[in-house]
This record gives sequence, C-alpha cells and structure tokens, in this order.
Amino acid sequence: MNRLIGMVVLIGAVVAGLVGLSAAFYLAAGGLAWVFAEYLGAPPSFGAAIANVVTLMLVVMMISGSLLTVAERKWSAMMQNRIGANRIKVLGSALGGIPFLAADALKMLTKESAPPRGRTRVLYEMAPALAFAPVFALFAIIPLGPPIPLGAIVDSAAGALGSAGVALQVASPDAGLLYIFAISSLAVYGTSLAGWASNNKLALLGGVRASSQMISYEVSLGLSLVGTMLAYRTLRLEEMVTAQGLAVLGPVPALGILLQPVGFLIFFASAFAETKRAPFDLPEGESEIVGYFVEYSGMKFGLMFLAEFVEIVVLSAIITAVFLGGWHPIVVSTEWLRQTVTPLWFGAICGGAFLAKMIVLMWLQLTIRWLLPRFRFDQIQKLCWKILLPAAIANIFITAGALLLDPSMQLLAWIGVATIVIIGAITAAVGRAPAPGEHDHAAAHAVAGH
Amino acid sequence: MQITAELVCFWIFAIPLVVTALGVVVARSPVYAAMNLVAAFFFMAGLYVLLAAHLIAFMQILVYAGAVMVLFLFVIMLLSLDEEHPQRERRRAMQYVGVLGAVSLLAVLASAIARVPDAAMSTLAQPDRFGTVKAVGQVLYTEFLLPFEVTSLLLLVAIVGAVVVAKERI
Repeated sequence: MNRLIGMVVLIGAVVAGLVGLSAAFYLAAGGLAWVFAEYLGAPPSFGAAIANVVTLMLVVMMISGSLLTVAERKWSAMMQNRIGANRIKVLGSALGGIPFLAADALKMLTKESAPPRGRTRVLYEMAPALAFAPVFALFAIIPLGPPIPLGAIVDSAAGALGSAGVALQVASPDAGLLYIFAISSLAVYGTSLAGWASNNKLALLGGVRASSQMISYEVSLGLSLVGTMLAYRTLRLEEMVTAQGLAVLGPVPALGILLQPVGFLIFFASAFAETKRAPFDLPEGESEIVGYFVEYSGMKFGLMFLAEFVEIVVLSAIITAVFLGGWHPIVVSTEWLRQTVTPLWFGAICGGAFLAKMIVLMWLQLTIRWLLPRFRFDQIQKLCWKILLPAAIANIFITAGALLLDPSMQLLAWIGVATIVIIGAITAAVGRAPAPGEHDHAAAHAVAGH
Repeated sequence: MQITAELVCFWIFAIPLVVTALGVVVARSPVYAAMNLVAAFFFMAGLYVLLAAHLIAFMQILVYAGAVMVLFLFVIMLLSLDEEHPQRERRRAMQYVGVLGAVSLLAVLASAIARVPDAAMSTLAQPDRFGTVKAVGQVLYTEFLLPFEVTSLLLLVAIVGAVVVAKERI
C-alpha cells in the first residue's frame, strides 16, 4: 500500500513538473516573441521560434535523449532483476543513476580517438554528424503545445500583437509530415558512410545491413501515415492534433489510434526499425558484427549513440502528435479546460500532457527493446515487404473507401474499433501457443542439420 | 541593391549549390561525387523553399537525396569502383563534345535570364495557396491527370523490367 501511494505521489510530481516545465517554455517563447516584436519590429512568430529552438530542441530533446541512456540502464536492470548503474554516488546517494549522465559525457569527451588506418578521411569524420543532424532536425515540426495569445503571456503586449498566437512549435511548413519523411530519409547516409569509410569488413557489413533495413522500412513508414493524412485532410501536425480533439462516436475524441489502429502498428514497427534497436538491431548486433560504428571511439561514437536515443524521443513525439491526440489532455475535455483556466495554464497543462504521453511511449520502446530477441535478417525483410507494406496499402484503400462513404469519420471510427477488437482477440488467442508453421520450420532446420 | 534576409538565404544556399555541383564533376572518387550530388540536392531544396515551393523542396530531398542517391551510393560502395580510374586519353573527343554542350547550355540559359524583365524579379505576386500540397495536388489530379498516370505506368514498366532482368539470378 505504501508503495502504491508512493508511486501515485511520484507520478503526480512528475506530471506537475512537466506542466511547470511547459509553462516555463511558454514564458520563454512569449517573452522572446515580445522582445523581438517590440524592439526589432519582427513578427512575434520569429522570436517564439528562436525561443522554441532553444527550449524544445536543446532542452527537451537533448536532455530527454541523454536521460534515456541512464533510463535504459536502470530499466533494463529492473527487467533483468539486477540493480543497475549505481556506482557513482553524490553525497552518499546514487540518485537513480542520473550522475552517470555527466560521467558518460566526460568519458566520451576525454577518450582517445583511435581512427583506423586506411579510412576515407573526410567521410569518416563526417559520418557521425550526418547520422545525428537529420534526427535532431526532425523535432522542429513537433507541436508540443497549443497556440495561446501573446497577450496572455506578456501583459504589456496589446492589440494585434497581444492576440498573435504563440505555440510550442519551432516551424510549421505546409508539407508537415513530408518534412519528417524527407529528413528522416537522410539519416541513412550517416550509418552507411560510417560503415564504408571505416575500412573494416564488419563495419561495412553493418553499414550495408543498416542501409538496406532503413531503405525498406522507409516505404512502409511513409505509407502507414497516408491513412491519417486522408482522415484529417491535412499534412500539418498541428492541424492533425486539433482535429483529434473533435468528438466522434459520442464523446470519444477522434484519436489517430482509434481511427487508424493498423496505421499505428505499422508506423510504430517501421519507426522502431528506423531507430535500429532490438529486435531490429542487426546493423549493430553486438554478438556478431559489433556494427557500423565499430571503428569509432570517443565522442564520435557518442554522437551515434546519442542519435539513437534522440530518435526514440522524436519517434515518441511523432506518435503522440499523430496517433495519441497530441497536446489534448485526454482525461479532461480540452474545451472545458480552455474555459476554466487562464490561457497560460491551459497551454502549460496541454504541453504537460504531450510530454507525459511522450514519456509513456519512450518507456514502451525501452520495454520492447529489452523484451524481444533479435530478428534474423530475412525475417526483417520479410516483415517489411510481405506483411507491413501490403497491410499499409490495404489500410490506405480501406481508409479512403470509408471516408468516401462517410466523410464524418464515424464509419472509419467503427472500423477502427472493430480492428482493435480483432487485433486484441487474435493476440489473446495466439498468446503463448507457438505460431502455426513455427513447428514445421524447426523440423526443417533439424533435417537440414542445423 | 537592398540586402534582405531572403537574399542572404539565397546566397547561403546558392554558393554551396554551385560548389557541390562542381564537386560532382571534379571529384575523382565516385563516393565523393555521389555525396556532393546529395549535398547539391539539399541546397537546391533550400532554393525551392525560398521560392515558397515547400512541397517540391521536400519531395526533392525525399525522392532524390533520400531514395535515389542512397541506392546509387549503395551500388558504388558495394562495387568499390574507386580502384579503377578511367583513362583520360581515350575520352578526348567526348570532352570536346561535353565542353561544347556545356557552353551552349550556358548560352541558352543566359539569354533566357537576360530576357526576364527586372520588374518580374521584384514583384512576386503569388496566390495564397501557391506551392501548398493542396494546390499542387489539385492541379496534378485534374489538369495533368493523364501525364501523371502515364508516368506511373512508366514506373511500373521499369519495375517489371528490373524484375525480368534480375530474375535469372534469383
């Protein structure tokens, strides 16, 4: 009982902290927007964008990315019944392993760089940056919080300036989701060049595996979101989030996961493959080829390592925005909240909801990574081309058909509910029994002398 | 000429674009040439963004830099073409033809640019929805439906052809 109370208090404290954090982000964005508008005559979105780059991309993304490195150690230890990183003590307390953040950074930065002989010099140096930069840039279009009037943040902003909206979003290009696909498709260069430029056969093997895997999964990644684009009739993430607040099927909001359960599963699997983590970790399989970064040491390795964790953060953010209702705090009605609290607190609570959903998704990804064993390479390609891709294409056709028959999304929502029920039933039925065919496969292997 | 933010951004994208495009031609190693081409596509996309054609810009990166060039790079890396340098002497005749072609292309472009009146450069009257996904999609699926479908047929033929060519080895 004590433990339960403790957990509830902890979760409450975390949520309160997230709300406070997003309130601080709004204050920073609004403050800088006002300063730029007042003294430089720039439009308010200009200053807000600069503040958001610092707060969202440097603070939220980088800090949660590096905290994940510690979280992964602690969480994997918990799952394997170990204690986990606790050797560094600050004033006699391990602080949940958080000091390892500083220790890791210090170790990476001070380690000797040992470049291999025969490397392709420029590409070898460039590869870690090429792996990190696209992943980093992805966060720019994530709408972390709703637009609230500038006048609600800065008292002295009045008139047209006061009613200009400030949102926790760095940029909002018209082609929203295409930006995500375009930039994430560039990430493959970092890994494949790292493998090729290292002049190492194992690294090359890792690079080739990484690029073939990433190219394949990019296709299903792109197609899995077409259904949501059709349903919400937009490519902009913030408009998708707004559309998810509208009610469908009575009081239930039109969440992406309700309308597009298949799209969600395909996107999650494909994006997971793009992060190159277990069960999709063939490019870096530690027990066989070490990976495309085998010849990298020090901070160059650190950058590739960090890119992986930042990708988890970005992936969680995209799923939150597209499928889980973004900044809508699902537990209370958004409209009710907008009318009861001041605009600043409304924004802060919504931003806190977004961050909380992101944390849950990151936790889910860590759990999956430590639960499942590695796929074989042919299984990876089969999963992509024979299961995910046809499913994604079928999903597009069914979604488009349902929207053509009933543009109000009711039919689509019912199809979604039915799909969720069917998927749940199949999962429960298959559960622990061996999948059909698995038996034959093992027998075939035994005959072949494996 | 007044220096605007747009002009600064233009030069930020244009100069590296020219440098990397030259790099594609000059680089000895095919991998460097391919990477220069990727960078050139990227800077070109920047120019498209300045022209308010966001969709084209992202498509440029997605299709050319993200998909086509990755496959190019894949092939170059696995075949490790760097070791064999093409012999220079045999290509003399081709070089002269190439120079001639480049000069005439330059002349055509220069004359076309010279004919554009100055006023057209400064007044960029755009409709509100210019370059958005909706606008491009509407034009593509109404006015240019036939070319669009024919293109997709062409791609299908290419895919089938690739399978036929590769099938003997599978």
